[in-house]
Amino acid sequence: MILNKLNTPENTTSTHAVAWEKQLIAYEESLRANPWQKQLQSITHNKMLLTGVVLGLIVLGLAILGPVFYDADYARQSLRNAHKPPLFEGYLLGTDGYGRDMAIRLFIGFRVSLLVAAAVTALSLFIGVILGMIGGYLGGSTDRVVRSSTDFIWGFPLILVAVLLVGGLGEGLFPVIMAVGIVNVAAITRVVRGEVVGLKEKEFVEAARAAGVSSYRIMWRHLLPNVLAPALIMASYLIAVAIIAEAALSFIGLGAQPPLPSLGKMIADGRGFLRINHWEATIPGIGIVVLVLAVSMIGDGLRDHFDPRLRHERGRKKNK
Amino acid sequence: MKHVIGRLGYMLIVLIVSSIAVFYAIRLSGGDATAAALPGSATEEFRQEFRASIGLDRPIYLQYFAYISKVLRGDPGRSITNNASLIEMLKKHGKNSLILGGAAFALVFLIGIPLGILASLRRNSWADHGIMSFSVIGMAIPNFWLALLAVWLFASTFQLLPAAGCCSPKQLILPAIVLAFEGIALTVRMTRSAMIENQNNDFVRTLRAGGLSEWRVTGKHVLRNALIPIISLAGLRIGQIVGYALIVEQIFSWPGIGQALVTAVLRRDYPVAQFFSLILVVLVVLGNWLADTGYTLANPRLRRSK
Repeated sequence: MILNKLNTPENTTSTHAVAWEKQLIAYEESLRANPWQKQLQSITHNKMLLTGVVLGLIVLGLAILGPVFYDADYARQSLRNAHKPPLFEGYLLGTDGYGRDMAIRLFIGFRVSLLVAAAVTALSLFIGVILGMIGGYLGGSTDRVVRSSTDFIWGFPLILVAVLLVGGLGEGLFPVIMAVGIVNVAAITRVVRGEVVGLKEKEFVEAARAAGVSSYRIMWRHLLPNVLAPALIMASYLIAVAIIAEAALSFIGLGAQPPLPSLGKMIADGRGFLRINHWEATIPGIGIVVLVLAVSMIGDGLRDHFDPRLRHERGRKKNK
Repeated sequence: MKHVIGRLGYMLIVLIVSSIAVFYAIRLSGGDATAAALPGSATEEFRQEFRASIGLDRPIYLQYFAYISKVLRGDPGRSITNNASLIEMLKKHGKNSLILGGAAFALVFLIGIPLGILASLRRNSWADHGIMSFSVIGMAIPNFWLALLAVWLFASTFQLLPAAGCCSPKQLILPAIVLAFEGIALTVRMTRSAMIENQNNDFVRTLRAGGLSEWRVTGKHVLRNALIPIISLAGLRIGQIVGYALIVEQIFSWPGIGQALVTAVLRRDYPVAQFFSLILVVLVVLGNWLADTGYTLANPRLRRSK
């Protein structure tokens, strides 16, 4: 980030030249000395990213380790113990309307959310990056097909696409993953394609082409490393989208099917009993807000971290 | 003008492609339509006959053409679960959806724009920070969770408003606000940044230097320029509202098109699912086209470049 400030034209003029060159060399040397420490330091300096990472690790820890240490069955019903508040007789977070343990359902619900988000994001990154690179680099009619189909999908609200696909494939997590995946593929493809269209005019690509490097190799070796950062930043936003979409679809009964707990389904189950025991709805609700908050903070933080240009612009806007 | 006509042609293509996609998606189910319509004891022979009677035994592309021509003639068929006429259903649910969607659409602009202007005029004050943090929350909170909190607070705890149902004005308040929430948050941001951007324009500085009162500079020149992109992109909010209506109508038991569609999907009532999803898709495509055209008309530069 010091680099960025130093390279502005006002600073590079005449008398300052020597001073900033020295600073630059010192900075670069400090980076070379221990690049990881520097990275870690600037991550911890970025408060938003740090908060996001901490929250995310807590949720991840609960999802992975919760069911290991907290021994309970998420589907076991007990009508005698229904609608109990947290800390009731060994139920850490109470029970829901069927007397099922809320704590274990929350942990498994986190697992479902994270697994769906991971599946959707992996799917959309893989296909989106390939499609975007092919469309952007090859151009012509291939590009037209890629662009018009992504524009087409992008035009529709995610929930509508999902409801349609669920109508086709039946309820469950698989159709939800497919539906959210399709829309997110369009998002990633658009970003990657835009980057590639700009990159392919650059000298290093032209040089590679002039040297007779095949299109496939240019995409793999020269374009991919350059589009990965914007694609990953986009993907980090889409994780939050996927988590909310899964919860929303499960909420209206199209996603996870009982007895598998999903945060959205738990909220739907609990909303009828707000006056009896509001925890049944508020615990999964808080869970989802924390999860989404963590993911979007990580996304925002990563963008700031890897793209100082944006931070610079933002600062400028504030100063106006 | 040429560009606008070009976009019209593109919209028609999108309409046709999406109607095919909707038709195939719902038909993809492979689930047996007769299972929903007929009792379990029906014989295979009878099932065949039933399929033939509603045209399910023909090749699927023929079914598509037959279906579309029937819809265009105003006869989309009947529900297979309760035999209700789809046109009657559309009238009833469509009216409710129009009320809810229209209210939300109006709220987006009636609340969003004034708040955005206020935030831009009192920049970096507590009002600005308050409005902007509200807007951040509005974009981060899932709307079904917001709906639940609203019900808990206003219906369960204070008992000011009914928790669900249709269609009195009192029952409209909560769902309309929840449905509009994200749109409001977005509009606030857009208005604020557009106002701030325009306040720094050269022509504004010239107007100020010429002695025009601050009130007229902001109220007339800045505001007008700032609102152009927001109003011209209003069509995009239609798509957003249609998408969220699927969830919000379900939460508040508001008998609109979204609720009917979700119920139909859950019950495998494919004529209803097909028809209502077609209606919603057409709405979204029209909204996108309106935004596209509006934006082009408002920006002469775009018009010429294409």
